[in-house]
Formats: sequence, structure tokens, C-alpha cells
Amino acid sequence: MSAGPTPPEHHVAYPNVLVGAEIDGDRSLSADAVVVGTGAGGATVAARLRAAGLDVLMLEEGGLHRTETFTTDPTAMVRRLYRDAGTSMILGKPPIIFAEGKCVGGSTVINGGMSWRTPARVLEHWAHDLGLDETGPAAMEPYFDEAERILHVEPNHEDTYGRNTHLFVEGARALGWPVARAPRNMRRCVGLNNCALGCPTGAKQAMHVTEVPRALADGAGLVTHARVDRVVWRGTTAVGVRGRFVDDRGRARGRLQVDAPLVVLAAGARHTPGILLRSRLRARQIGRGLHTHPNAKCVGIFDERIDPWKGTHQAFHVHHFLDEGILIGYAAIPPGLLAAALPGMGPESAEYMSLYNHMLTAATLVEDDTEGRVRLGPDRQPFMHQTLGPADVERLHRGVTLTAELLFAAGARRVLLPFSDLPALAHVGELPRIAARDRRRGSTELMTVHIMGTARMAADPARGATDASGAVWGTRGLVIADASVLPSSIGVNPQETIIAMALRNADRWLEARGTRRVAGGGA
Amino acid sequence: MRSRARPLSPAAQRILVAALVAIRPRGHGFDQDVDDDVLASIEEFFPHLPAPMRLAFPLGLHLLEWAPLVVVRRATRLSRMSPDETRHYLERALAFGGPLGALVLGVRALVLLNFYQHPAVLETMQVDWAGRRDELVARRAELLQS
Repeated sequence: MSAGPTPPEHHVAYPNVLVGAEIDGDRSLSADAVVVGTGAGGATVAARLRAAGLDVLMLEEGGLHRTETFTTDPTAMVRRLYRDAGTSMILGKPPIIFAEGKCVGGSTVINGGMSWRTPARVLEHWAHDLGLDETGPAAMEPYFDEAERILHVEPNHEDTYGRNTHLFVEGARALGWPVARAPRNMRRCVGLNNCALGCPTGAKQAMHVTEVPRALADGAGLVTHARVDRVVWRGTTAVGVRGRFVDDRGRARGRLQVDAPLVVLAAGARHTPGILLRSRLRARQIGRGLHTHPNAKCVGIFDERIDPWKGTHQAFHVHHFLDEGILIGYAAIPPGLLAAALPGMGPESAEYMSLYNHMLTAATLVEDDTEGRVRLGPDRQPFMHQTLGPADVERLHRGVTLTAELLFAAGARRVLLPFSDLPALAHVGELPRIAARDRRRGSTELMTVHIMGTARMAADPARGATDASGAVWGTRGLVIADASVLPSSIGVNPQETIIAMALRNADRWLEARGTRRVAGGGA
Repeated sequence: MRSRARPLSPAAQRILVAALVAIRPRGHGFDQDVDDDVLASIEEFFPHLPAPMRLAFPLGLHLLEWAPLVVVRRATRLSRMSPDETRHYLERALAFGGPLGALVLGVRALVLLNFYQHPAVLETMQVDWAGRRDELVARRAELLQS
């Protein structure tokens, strides 16, 4: 690096941080509120509660990785920032590759920065069909407004568009499909397209450069490398959490207990129900309702050179089919990660990857109706399973067909598909082969970073693990602030929904405690 | 090979090396001599895997070593097959599905990820993401200052 100017995100101050990996022996701490997890929900709530005057302690299982240390090497960054080095899997037919962040800032550090509001039809479903008060579009609007202030949401500048962006837009427009300019949480993105490995430029306004330092500067505390195993009870009242300090590799060190009259779980839709299940809660709904918003990739191979690594990440989406539960986007994926997702080994892989600079990777994300589940395995760690039902499988095939059609319309001379028994199409006339494919044959390569719903809010305990404010049914002092509480699949990237819902619910908890709510406190 | 402590036994490492040689790309400009680096980079992943996977992986490699009899009806071991034979065997095992298929999928992903992200390979591919990082960090800082 030259000694020139550096972005402000390279100089963020992190006061009041205890590095759990460096602590010898056991520790007992206390606070008014302990927040487990520092992703979209946890960091937002921590800043909110602190602004309301509570003594707040954040616990994070991963480490604090500063923006200026982020590189473009996926082999290193995946080990540092991802849970299980990115090897998580949702079991089922087909299995779904799953990735989530394990670091201060959680998955906001490794997401694409998409900041969509929850579609109105989804909010209306929650308010009217599920009976969740104040979740309709009008009631949620102020929270989305505030979430967008926190996230600093803006569209990409045109000077960040790469050739892949132009081709994606041209393909959609050639088919008469409107494209939506993606709102993203960033401050003057310059188009490095390294979002999934941590943004080295600091443009992405992830929680480790926004709400976490904001809460810390306001007096909150943070313990990194702190893995929470379970909630501590007095009767049915949560009075704290218990866990272990861990090292960078997750090996257990000393014991940790935090006493707090308010316990906020924000460990994500896999580990939050895991903590609940380990905490001797037996409510039937805990862990049920898993939605995965799976995505399937299609890779267009073009005659022209695209250099997909030059230009921003997903400046546009196609939302034209959102009412069908289908979203279409595109991404530049580093060679090593893309090769693992393409077919072939040895010379076959080499043949595909020799065309890397001529590839445009697009993906369809489908809103899944099928409910999966999180359970505890023999090692007491949560595992997920979901087998997509027939309606979801059909939606997936429709989404792949539309995505391949877009790529051909953009000029692709061949499109690689996510089906092992139908790996590629040579021309647009072959598109019907996707719909005609035998669903029982071969495998489909799917992945997701959008799991939700495993402690969903419901109007009664027979239908969800939490009430309409994210408080766990049948308990006191235990609330949830992550994608677990979302009552159904939302069909879009969930970051902004998680934050808006966390803000809404935090206001409710504060009101229930008789604490003054903090209008705009996080902004 | 280097002498530092490695996470796999010599036998498991021998199997992994045989799989690596079969899986790693060849031809089309991908003939870089980087196997040692790729293997070292793969081994750096092991400590970060969840405990069940860390325990199961070496066992899985031994299963893969002896499974040619079942998968391709050949009374031999993976580490004694030629790279082409091994590749054919691994492709069949992948199609087999189940735990064996998942294991091959995982090994394949580790090999390809660490091969294609090797600096020498990236240079051949004319992909300079790292150079672009330095350039754009400075560019953004200037834009915010102006």
C-alpha cells in the first residue's frame, strides 16, 4: 500500500473491547442487557438499548477484524470471517450450501450490501393473515426509514459499473423486464466487488464500522471470542447467559457467565434456536419454520471479454417476477469459489476456467414455502435440514429458465446450469429442456446466505416461538433480534428487514420495561 | 514437503495428495507447479472446520482410499491409481452421492479453491483483484477527501 490518504473506516476506534481469546481462566460479568451476536440485529439493538441508557454488553463468538486488514484472498478471508470456514450445509434433497459470518459485524461483513425493504405483500400477510399487530407497511415504514439512515443506503454510482453490470441490464431490457437499481448500505462504493470477503475500501457500511463502534463509543462493552452455550434461568425468567471463551479456531478456553435481566439473542437463524434448545426450552415451535431463500447460479459464457472482477457487485436486480417469488441478480465470484461451483475436475475444470474472464454469473433466488428445521446434533450444535417441496422445485426451475433466458438475451453463447444432469444449454432454443428435466434425476447445486424463521413471531405459542415483539413465549427477560423471528420467507435479501424489525421490537421491550423509547436513537 | 507438524497422518496425506493430483486443473494454461502450496493451503483449513468434520475427514479419506472396489469394481487403492483413473473414480464417487459423494465434493472444492486462488494461477488468468484493491482503497479515500 502507498502512504497516501486512507478511508475513515480504516481508523475506526473500538473502545471497551475484551478479547476473549486472550483471557486466561473464568470470568463473570454483568450488565443491564446482554446481546448475543453483533450482526444486523444484535448490533442495532445494542446501540438502541445503550442510547436508552442501559448498560449493554455485546458478546461475539468471532473476532474483531478491522477493515484495513481485509484482503481479496478468499482462502484467507473465508477462514477469518466465515463460520466453519464456509463449509456449512443445510441437509436435504438437494443439500444447500450455507454461509454466515462469524466475526464482529456478523454476516453484514460478508454480505452483498443489498438493502431492500420487505415487500408490502409480505408485510400485509404478517399483519392480516398472521395477526401480528403493527407489522403492516404503514406501521413498519418509520423503522425502514431509520434502518436506511443507519445503513446509509444509496445506489451505486455509474462509474462503478463493470461490463457484467451493463450486460445484465441489457439482457433484462432486451426481454422487456424492468430492472431495479439496488439500494445498498454503502458510502461511495468504488466497485471493488469484494463484498463477500469483507470490504477493504470501507465503503460497505457493515455493522463493524457503524452500530458496533457507535454502541462502544456510547459506553457499551464488547467481548469477542465469546461463545454462548445457554441461557441461565431463575424459574422462567432469563437472568443471563453462560458459555466459553474460544480461540480463533473455536477451541474452548475459560468459562464465561454474564448476569443480565435482559437477554437478547441475535446469533442468527441457526444458532439462536440452538441456544434456545440447549437452554432446556421445550416449546414445540423452536427451530421450526426454517426458510432458506435458496439461490441457483447460471453462468453465461460470452465471446467478448467481460473481466467480471472489474466493477461493482449487483448494482441491479430483476424484481419483475417477485410476486412469483423469484428474484434475479448477478455477482462476480472469485475464480477459486466459482470453479468449485462449476462442473468438472482436471482438464474439464481447466477448460471452463480458461473462460473465466468471459463469464457473467447470474443467480435466481426463490422464496421458499417449504419449512425446514433446526435441531441439535449429537455434539449439541445446531444443524439444519430442509427438503424443498414440489412448488419450490417448480419455482426454482422457472427461476433458472428466466435467468438463462436473460443471459442468452445479453449475448451469451452458452449457459452453464446448476443441474448435474443438464449442465449446459447451447442456445436459447434449448430453454424448454429445463422445464422438461426429470426432477428425480441428478442433483441441483444450491446455496444460501438468507436463512430465517426458526423462532418466528406468532400471535399464539402454538404457531411460533416468539410473540409479536420477539419475546420468547413462556419466558420473561428473553428476546430475539435476528432473522429467526421473521414469520415467513420474505423473498428479498433480509438485512434491512432484520434491522427494521429489531428496531421495532427494541422499542417494545423498552416500553415494557418502562424505559423511554429512543426515537431515531440509532441514527 | 515441509517438516512442520501437519494435521493429517502420513497415510491420510498420501491419499489427499493423490486426489489433489487428479483433481487439479491441467491444460488450457493451468500447468503451474504449485501442488505443495495448494496442499499447505488446504491443510490450513482443517483447524477451522467444525469438530465433527475435523474428525470425519481423515476417516473419509481412508474410506475413499479403499472404495474403488465398490465404486468402479477395481481391486486397487486410490493412491495406487494413475491420475486419470483416480479422476474417473472420483467422478463416479461424486455421482454416487451420500457421504462418499459429499466427501469428494468437499475435497474437490478445497483443491479448486486453493489452486485457482494461487497467485501464479491468478497471474496466468490475468485476474488482479489484489492490485485493484490497493488502487480502489486509495481512490475512495481521495474521493471522500475531495
